[in-house]
Amino acid sequence: MTYAIEAEGLVKRYGDKTALDGVGLRAETGSVLGVLGPNGAGKTTTVRVLATLAVPDAGHARVGGHDVTREPTRVRELIGLTGQYASVDEKLTGAQNLRLIGRLLGLSRADARARASELLARFGLEEAAARAAGGYSGGMRRRLDLAASLVGRPRVLFLDEPTTGLDPRARGELWDVVGELTADGVTVLLTTQYLEEADRLADDLLVIDQGRVAAAGTPAELKAMAGGHRLDVRPLRPDDVEKAEALLGVSACDGALTVPVHDLSEPPALLRALDDAGIVLAEHALRLPSLDDVFHTLTGDRR
Amino acid sequence: MTFTQPAVRRGPSAALSQGLVLAWRSLIPLRNSPGQLVGLLVQPVFMIVVFVYLFGGATGDRADVVAYMVPGVLVQVSLIATIGTGMNLATDIGNGVFDRFRTLPIARSAPLTGRILADLAALLITIVTSLVVGYAVGFRVTTGPLGVLGAIGLVLLMALALSWGSAWLGLVAKTVSSMQGMATAVLLPLTFGSSAFVPATGMPGWLVWWMGVNPVSHLASALRGLLGGGLRVADVWITHGWTAALMALFVPLAVRAYARRVR
Repeated sequence: MTYAIEAEGLVKRYGDKTALDGVGLRAETGSVLGVLGPNGAGKTTTVRVLATLAVPDAGHARVGGHDVTREPTRVRELIGLTGQYASVDEKLTGAQNLRLIGRLLGLSRADARARASELLARFGLEEAAARAAGGYSGGMRRRLDLAASLVGRPRVLFLDEPTTGLDPRARGELWDVVGELTADGVTVLLTTQYLEEADRLADDLLVIDQGRVAAAGTPAELKAMAGGHRLDVRPLRPDDVEKAEALLGVSACDGALTVPVHDLSEPPALLRALDDAGIVLAEHALRLPSLDDVFHTLTGDRR
Repeated sequence: MTFTQPAVRRGPSAALSQGLVLAWRSLIPLRNSPGQLVGLLVQPVFMIVVFVYLFGGATGDRADVVAYMVPGVLVQVSLIATIGTGMNLATDIGNGVFDRFRTLPIARSAPLTGRILADLAALLITIVTSLVVGYAVGFRVTTGPLGVLGAIGLVLLMALALSWGSAWLGLVAKTVSSMQGMATAVLLPLTFGSSAFVPATGMPGWLVWWMGVNPVSHLASALRGLLGGGLRVADVWITHGWTAALMALFVPLAVRAYARRVR
């Protein structure tokens, strides 16, 4: 058995709202598990249970072989958490934040200082090291947050929507860090709303919807679930969108329509039909399914 | 597979040192931003000026006013400062710092003990400032070092008891501002509706009754005795009684609310 994270039948209720309704998952040691889902699907609750911040009402979970409910301290020795919840102290400087965590983890003053400098350098925060974290930009704050979760050299890292609100460059930097960590054998569980991110980083994916696992597998497997090619068309005149919807039997999103294609003889026929109906197209394209399509197929397009 | 990591220290001594590290963390902002330290120091200065010169100036002999007001101010600023414990806890919970601590392999009690230790240290700064400012306006200790230590100890203990109450509010409150509102609603009538600043003589009957029961009246009176002589021992015992009662009420409430938060 080589799973760094395992969970089975996790149920979590808040009042009469069921946040998790039987979530199970597995992440192999050194792999990246991407957890996808719309807002409120249960991604963050899943992370909170696995990171010992919330106790499940049913089911069980093991991180690094330790049960999160029975041995939370053992689990805490192994994990790091960066996300919407765990955060840094705004009144402390970047360096003080990292030294604080080092000291709490039992490092000596000198070791805590050295570890803090090392992480500040790695995340390009040396110049901001002596400034209060409250004055950091969003990207710097996220990097400090990630550095804080790495002070204890975690073997399992939880990243809860780590790139939400980051610019493309900062996002790319974070992706590089995840790559370095997994190369060192760290297991990463990452929740995201960006399918591109999941496609790029994750070895395995889990799609959660309404507290349940809607699908699990590798990105390639999930794409295969969504079937064959896709035909995207965009009518030139907005008035034609409704007519196109009726003709193709799918609903439009932002003025564009996507039709699943089962047979490659279909697209020419569909385009001819649109032409016969007098619908002029601004663009049309035939492509393989993306994770977006998987996501929309599985979660019923409620985004 | 099972991972093992370098052993993390456990047990009471580790819990204490983690609490001290977190107390250090809570006191750093005083050094980082001098504005906060000034805020801590200005309050006693302001209160003494207001009560001695503004309210006390109109009536009677200045020396009598100073002897009466300075211990009152000491009590007032100390007890109002306890609001900080709950506010800081509520802030840490609200912005996620608390959850960060909870994902670390540290003693569950460390964030709470760290908070209370830091607040007691800040309180000591406030108390010493009050005494220094008091000296500057003419307040003299006529008893001796033991009296001063006794006075500081008495007010610290009462403040500690109220800090637990404040911590409890901070742990159950939905927001920082609601916590602050609740704590202020309790502490203002408690401190101002006491004989800390004005003797009860000549007040309406219900107010005299309230000032007599109010533990803050006894605390202020005990401080006057411990610092300026003429101590009524009953005031000390009544204060201790209230402190014990408040502790007995608030410590279990706070610990239960805390355990629910950190499990």
